[in-house]
Amino acid sequence: MSELEYLLKRKQSLASWSDRWQAKAARFADSYRDLLPRRITNAQLYGLGNVVRSAWRYGDIERFIRHQAEKAERAGRLDVQSYWNDLKDALGKLRSEAQTLLKTLPLPSGAGNREDLDELHRELAGLYVQHLIAHSLYWTPAQEESRKGEK
Amino acid sequence: MSEQAVQEVALRVALERAIARKSDEYDQSARQYAYQLVGTKLDKTQVRGLETLASTTDKVSDITDWLKLRVGRDSGRERWAKEGIGRDLVNELEGLRNDAKKIVQGLSQVDPDLERQVHLRLCREFLKHLAAHFEYLKLER
Repeated sequence: MSELEYLLKRKQSLASWSDRWQAKAARFADSYRDLLPRRITNAQLYGLGNVVRSAWRYGDIERFIRHQAEKAERAGRLDVQSYWNDLKDALGKLRSEAQTLLKTLPLPSGAGNREDLDELHRELAGLYVQHLIAHSLYWTPAQEESRKGEK
Repeated sequence: MSEQAVQEVALRVALERAIARKSDEYDQSARQYAYQLVGTKLDKTQVRGLETLASTTDKVSDITDWLKLRVGRDSGRERWAKEGIGRDLVNELEGLRNDAKKIVQGLSQVDPDLERQVHLRLCREFLKHLAAHFEYLKLER
């Protein structure tokens, strides 16, 4: 497989993966809808988005999420802590997805190494978080409206 | 030309025809959305932005994520969130997957990603009509 073929196949595989996983990320957001947008604020979600976009390694994303969970724990917000811990687990599990994708994408020079795996894991986490943020914000106005209606 | 190459060309032609036929069917529905959208505070750059995104991305989810974000940010409900227009459009675009499925089922094709790619093409067609109608109606007003 030439370098160009590899890059095109990689791009298509990631696009396909992203479209498949959008519903899963949306389900995660839905399962925490009660926390949005008061306990988990839009600013926190945008912060997560910024970290994911600028991270060089997957570890940077994990460190940010762990920090958010620790902050929530210190503030006694156990539901928020649980959100961040569950998100850390969900994103962590994407490593096996990255491994599976790597197997279907043999590098032109040979087998993938650890750096390729980490890079792909980071990219998958970025796509998952993109869906998560979009879906989390999507329902916020409707939810706020119904809360106002209840008052 | 080899037999396989001939089959590939025939498949491509059949696919393009099916997409073109669906695109013509979407015109009226897209016009209805455009009518609703001109009743919002959206201007043509925002609708054209959606069309441009659709024509450049390789993911359907990028289009629906873009719309979801705009709906979510429209706390004043004057643009994409006005009277549920953005949500309806997200559902409409996601629903085009059924048309993509039918098109692909009618072809003897084994590419597992083809349905997704056709879905993306149908979204592009729908939004192309929507943007054109929107600009036209906006000008009329």
